[in-house]
Amino acid sequence: MSSSVIEVENLNKTFKSIPAVVNIGFKVEKAGCFGFLGPNGAGKTTIMKMIYGKCLRDNNQNSKLKVFGIDPGRNELDIKYKTGVVPQDNNLDEQLDVFTNLWVYAKFYRLPPEEAVTRIKELLTFMELAEKQKAKIKELSGGMKRRLVLARALLNKPRLLILDEPTTGLDPQVRHLIWQKINQLKKQGTTILLTTHYMEEAFQLCDEIFILDFGRKIMSGRPAVLLEQHIEKYVLIIFDKNNFQAAEKTAEHNNLRQEESNDGLRLYGNSLEQLKAFARKLNMYEYYLRQSNLEDLFLKITGRNINELQ
Amino acid sequence: MNYSKPQSFPPLVHRLYSVWYRHFRVYVKNIFSNGLPPFLEPLIFLAGIGLGLNKYIENMNGIPYIEFLATGLLVVSAMFTAAFECSFGTFLRLEFDKVYDGMLAAPLSVNNLLVGEIIWAGSKGFFFSLAVFLVLIPFGIITVHISLLTPLIGFITGIMFASFSLFITSFVKDINQFNFYFTGFLSPMFFFSGIVFPVTNLPEIIRPVAEIFPLTHSVRLVRAVCFIDFRPELAADLVYIAVFTFVFAYWGIKRLKKKLIQ
Repeated sequence: MSSSVIEVENLNKTFKSIPAVVNIGFKVEKAGCFGFLGPNGAGKTTIMKMIYGKCLRDNNQNSKLKVFGIDPGRNELDIKYKTGVVPQDNNLDEQLDVFTNLWVYAKFYRLPPEEAVTRIKELLTFMELAEKQKAKIKELSGGMKRRLVLARALLNKPRLLILDEPTTGLDPQVRHLIWQKINQLKKQGTTILLTTHYMEEAFQLCDEIFILDFGRKIMSGRPAVLLEQHIEKYVLIIFDKNNFQAAEKTAEHNNLRQEESNDGLRLYGNSLEQLKAFARKLNMYEYYLRQSNLEDLFLKITGRNINELQ
Repeated sequence: MNYSKPQSFPPLVHRLYSVWYRHFRVYVKNIFSNGLPPFLEPLIFLAGIGLGLNKYIENMNGIPYIEFLATGLLVVSAMFTAAFECSFGTFLRLEFDKVYDGMLAAPLSVNNLLVGEIIWAGSKGFFFSLAVFLVLIPFGIITVHISLLTPLIGFITGIMFASFSLFITSFVKDINQFNFYFTGFLSPMFFFSGIVFPVTNLPEIIRPVAEIFPLTHSVRLVRAVCFIDFRPELAADLVYIAVFTFVFAYWGIKRLKKKLIQ
């Protein structure tokens, strides 16, 4: 048996003749963290939903989708039993309090009552929600709700955790707390599938990222390797339009890649010295020199313009 | 945490029970506002009828009018509660609260979810019929014998209207459209299903319509057990209820599945 928790080949999904996912293939190894990046409407959530049977893939002969060796189109229950899901929108039961939300879900997994109570307390402590046990869902902050959804997904000690934008809209403190918890789970052997718009998050958590746009694969690989292969090491951003001409000249002279957008002109290069030399001619608040990151790569390959799906 | 214990998803009965349990917990959370009205409603009704109408109509088909009307009430309450649960209730859980989305990430199938919902609505029918029954006893309107089966008929009525309501819900795009269902279908049924007056008093042309109304058959069942009057035709009523329930449950679930699984 292979060690892959998820195996996907030629995965397609069409909504009313509009292709949402086109010929996607990937493998997720046990205890790995696999991240999907892509603009809104790129098909990330659809892929996640197909994995736990909330969405059915197009039926074509050479497509393959196996989760724990099982096809979710045939036996979604087995997969759902072993999988925890944090959907994009918090779908907590607003009519029940914090504890009962988890208690009702413990019933769905058929945890014995004493075990359920222990497990719920353990998870609320783990997510730093222990004092909120009796609180109504409406009284919780956005960050607390998110942590509660994560706690709910962990009730049955899932072997696979599906996280659809787990930290969108949260403050940095909560985001870092969630990252820390995800890393902890990874160390314990949980396989993680993640979508995110935060490149920093993908860089911190993922062993492998998969960038898609318009339902199609753009590239995939280890984040550090992708950065190394596809983008220059440093970027100098110039804010003042008056300096653009000089910058463009320097860029041409030094063979630097340039990119103009609404917020400034970017010069990309592998030599820090070259960029520094130019930056010295500018005033302090007119530029920003830094290492290039996943976001630069992402924008480079998916473009800066907004498409009709976003 | 350990990840090695052998695991398998719960059996069907438990899955249905767990869905039922979710609804039960939500219902009992507001036990006062949810549990009291089923008892108040028949009291108000009895007061209204007993003090007023009863003076003018002494009996109907040889039965004191208040008994005739009150026994019909036993299933009307079950009908309305189940219909509410699986129309407005289901729609809210489906569209606004996204409760179903969460539940479907747990080891439950769409079938489990919706069948569990129907069974829950049936249980509410049971409870509402029981409440009316308990109110009628001290007034001497019903005596305790085989009439104890009444809540069971409330359950069957609840299941039947839950199935039909799910079917209706599968077409509804805006919650206000349920107004048509309630005023256009359920309310007329109250008057033309033999609750207020016997179906036999209807004009010949309308009588077949009354036979199509599912509530007519529930009313016959409940009167049979309350007045210990069992006729062979009751078998036809039972068959009608069974077929009606099955057809609309199957069809409704099939249609709702398309909304829940993309």
